[in-house]
Amino acid sequence: MLKIFYGTVEENLYGPAWFNNNYEQEWFEDTFVQDMVRDVDKTSYKEGEVFESSVLGAIPPEKLSGGVKTLISIYKNPTLVFDATSCGDNCAIWLQKIGQKEDITVTLRYAMRFEEINDFEICLLNTNSIYKDKKEFTLAALNVIDEVL
Amino acid sequence: MIGSHHIIVETKKIKYEFDIKRNITVIRGDSATGKTTLIDLLSQFARFQGRTGVKVESDVPCVVYADGLISWQEAIKSVSDSIIFIDEDYGFIKTKEFASVIKNTSNYYVLITRDYLKCLPYSVNEVYGIRNSGKYNFPQRVYNEFYPLYDDVENKKISAKCLIVEDSKSGYQFYSVAVPDISCISADGNANIYKKILSLDTKDGCYVIADGAAFGAFIDKILQLRDMGYKIGLILPESFEWLILKSKVVDINDLQKILETPEDYIDSRIYFSWERFFTELLEKGTSGSIAEYHKDELSQYYLEGKNREAILNTVKLFLEE
Repeated sequence: MLKIFYGTVEENLYGPAWFNNNYEQEWFEDTFVQDMVRDVDKTSYKEGEVFESSVLGAIPPEKLSGGVKTLISIYKNPTLVFDATSCGDNCAIWLQKIGQKEDITVTLRYAMRFEEINDFEICLLNTNSIYKDKKEFTLAALNVIDEVL
Repeated sequence: MIGSHHIIVETKKIKYEFDIKRNITVIRGDSATGKTTLIDLLSQFARFQGRTGVKVESDVPCVVYADGLISWQEAIKSVSDSIIFIDEDYGFIKTKEFASVIKNTSNYYVLITRDYLKCLPYSVNEVYGIRNSGKYNFPQRVYNEFYPLYDDVENKKISAKCLIVEDSKSGYQFYSVAVPDISCISADGNANIYKKILSLDTKDGCYVIADGAAFGAFIDKILQLRDMGYKIGLILPESFEWLILKSKVVDINDLQKILETPEDYIDSRIYFSWERFFTELLEKGTSGSIAEYHKDELSQYYLEGKNREAILNTVKLFLEE
């Protein structure tokens, strides 16, 4: 399940930099990772540590976007807590998909627009409530954000 | 600093072109749109000038804040008449201290962040995303431009039983009198509008009139409520004083010119937000006349007859027919 805490937390991990220092080449051979990179960054995995960006040409993993670096870091390290504020709205669906595979906890400092999907399920840690309806979750999240951010 | 500044950042593969015209600009939006690449290119140019193949065209220096040997406070104070870019996840930009440090400086600030910066009075018109327009020999060379994220949020007329006004002074006094067939409620501050909307019966719908010049930190939550089905009509002029000035009910030297390009007159060293400039312009421009404007108590001059109608007609310009 995807669990979210809205607020500023000092101890969480900053994905874009953490990824640069910790990624493993074998992560990129995972088709789920490749799908995320293709969708968010419009970039395809070639081989080894080489990606092909539609904008920048051949790039190393360090040149992936901060959002997709954070997504990969979360997916490959579900027990760690990352700050998902580096992820834009176009990463929301992937956070939800990762949450359907693993129990993950992230922090956020803005009202990310999540997608209406089958089996919608997000735990709002600020109130310790689980939501299975997008609209109910969004309203609860906005109320928390209005209070704490 | 005053004025609009046209900036071009380009390499063999990518080109950014945009204008910066207020002291605070916020860049946010989706991942992978090129925000960090822009910062990287500006950083390279600052360090190596043209020696890395990065070209930057700007009539004022473009500086990227980076951690260094001195504190962020000292770093900012050491720069003047420049555009300072600050990349995401420098937490200090959310603080009251940051607002205090940048206030009354001669720089413009471009902040890349998804945080809601409640301490900063930034305009809904200066929150941008970056998009690839693809019109520049794509795919050989990619052309990126800024686009205003909240350009078309003011919507069609809705049926509403109440009007939420940001302030509790002149604006509230005006709408209470000028729109008698609708219940006028003061939110007593832009930060309270969200809660005020939730306190109403959602079926009835409401209009919200707020100062667009300082509503940048609050608009996203309101738009998300609207996306969820709340009937909300948004009217976001620069400020109530701007509405009066725009309505041509006062006679002030060069007013039309000022309203056409406010950025040429509003000095970041003096005005933290454009609304303060328009308030001062109206107060000084009407001082001693029958139209003398006071924010605390609105003169009858604005509440009656053709003046009232002229201001209301300007409000209506924000609503599509």
